[in-house]
Amino acid sequence: MKGFFFRQAWQNLIQNLWINAFTLATITLSFLIFGLFLLVAVNARELLEEWGSRIRVTAYLSDGVTAEETNRLQDTIRSLQEVQAIIFRSKEDALKSLEGKFPGRTGLLKGLSRNPLPASLEIQLKPAFRDKAGVDRVAGKLKALQGISDLQYGAEWVERFSAFMILLQVLGAGVSGLLLVATILIVANTIRLNIFSRREEIEIMRSVGATGLFIRAPFYLEGIFQGLAGAGLALGILFVLFHLFWAKVYDPLKILLGNFPLHFLAGEQGAGLVLGGLILGFLGTQVSVGRYLKV
Amino acid sequence: MDEIFPEEEGAKKAPEIGPLGDAVSLWASPSEFLPVEVIHVSKNFEDGQQALNDVSLRIEKGKFVYLMGANGAGKTTLLKLLYAAERPTAGELRVNGFDVTRLKVREIPRLRRSLGIVFQDLKLIPRWSVFGNVAFALQVLGLGKDEILKKTSQALQQVGLEGKGNFLPYQLSAGEQQRAAIARAIVNQPALLLADEPTGNIDFHAAEEIVRLFEGINLQGTTIFLATHDEGLAAILPQERVVLERGRIVENSLPPTLPEA
Repeated sequence: MKGFFFRQAWQNLIQNLWINAFTLATITLSFLIFGLFLLVAVNARELLEEWGSRIRVTAYLSDGVTAEETNRLQDTIRSLQEVQAIIFRSKEDALKSLEGKFPGRTGLLKGLSRNPLPASLEIQLKPAFRDKAGVDRVAGKLKALQGISDLQYGAEWVERFSAFMILLQVLGAGVSGLLLVATILIVANTIRLNIFSRREEIEIMRSVGATGLFIRAPFYLEGIFQGLAGAGLALGILFVLFHLFWAKVYDPLKILLGNFPLHFLAGEQGAGLVLGGLILGFLGTQVSVGRYLKV
Repeated sequence: MDEIFPEEEGAKKAPEIGPLGDAVSLWASPSEFLPVEVIHVSKNFEDGQQALNDVSLRIEKGKFVYLMGANGAGKTTLLKLLYAAERPTAGELRVNGFDVTRLKVREIPRLRRSLGIVFQDLKLIPRWSVFGNVAFALQVLGLGKDEILKKTSQALQQVGLEGKGNFLPYQLSAGEQQRAAIARAIVNQPALLLADEPTGNIDFHAAEEIVRLFEGINLQGTTIFLATHDEGLAAILPQERVVLERGRIVENSLPPTLPEA
């Protein structure tokens, strides 16, 4: 019996080839756009997390702070709830770091009579506080401590990027939602046309004693197939586009972007996309079968 | 109407032997269900037309009965009531043990699967092969592939269409299409076969072959209720007959009462 259903569904797809091809193309396009937003959102979130991890407060120590005072300062700062880790950079470390940024020009720095660079404490914050509010809170506490001559911090750029990402996600969700509703309606319309073109056949099947399920099952298979195929095709096209983008755009600019690794959708995300196609295909069919196929 | 439906006594009475050498009575023993029981059935359509008016009849198992009458007499309407394509305005119908009058919509497929129906317009699915059309009557029963193959082949052979299984309906002659429709109706070996003008569009010679085909099916035990307007057809194979005129039974070859023991 199952073989009969699949054969019928396949015959129906072939019989109304152009209508079904158009539906498939529309579903593919919808899922492609949805997949694109998803891909951007996934990678941007990872980028945001990666940049967020670089948020830190640098506290420059006053000249003359002793090693003991530096240790006490570190202990005090480490005890703050916002602080995850502290890295101490001595004056010599700072000078070496500066020399490293100017290879071939170290002679200029050797001419200095003394090392003007201060020692510093690089304070890394816990993930929950890696935003402007968290940074401002820590900075406020550090300003009150003795031995700190200056503070360097800035989370505005991360905040702006985060806000942009939220906007992008909302926009993506909105557009994708509309596209997915359109997908359901397009599948529903195609199935409705198929039901209409086969109404005499359906009547004959009823006359011979076919149950409602027997008549409806091939239509559901059609809709599910269209949804699956559309989502699958979209995933395939997205994969090709991603690799083209990687080769032609990302790879040449990788260094400027800080060698941030770009990822395609994970296995479960891809599977979720395809499953979504199946569900939408089923829902689209249900809309039409429930309304136009009363058997 | 009491003489038509005498008191049911419970004990099976021996039927009277008629001129054809078999039982002529349409009134079955009450101790088993009848293929067809029509009890005071009327059918009025929405436009006010009365298609059937107080029709009553019973058909015993294994009988071959013609339902005769001119076009518009109500033959097709009566058959449609029997397979629940229409609902009666009044009265009761029982078919193969189903109370058709009270049958729920979802139970109608079960009724139809227990019957063999040859429709006036054949109702062969154009894009399916002859084999596919016939096999469908078994597929709806959920039978396995091998069994479907075997029974469909047998049915096609029985109607003389072996070798034409792969043909599409339009590739067959009118008579062959009729045979294909009959094959679909008998492939599930139904207890009751309803046929609506099965020789309507074919010549007399082909019609005669069709009637002989029905005779063979009947001899295998299937009850046949065949609607036709063609007196010549009934003359090929005289059987019991019920005649409708403007929705009423005007002639009945049956004795009005059960024979006495």
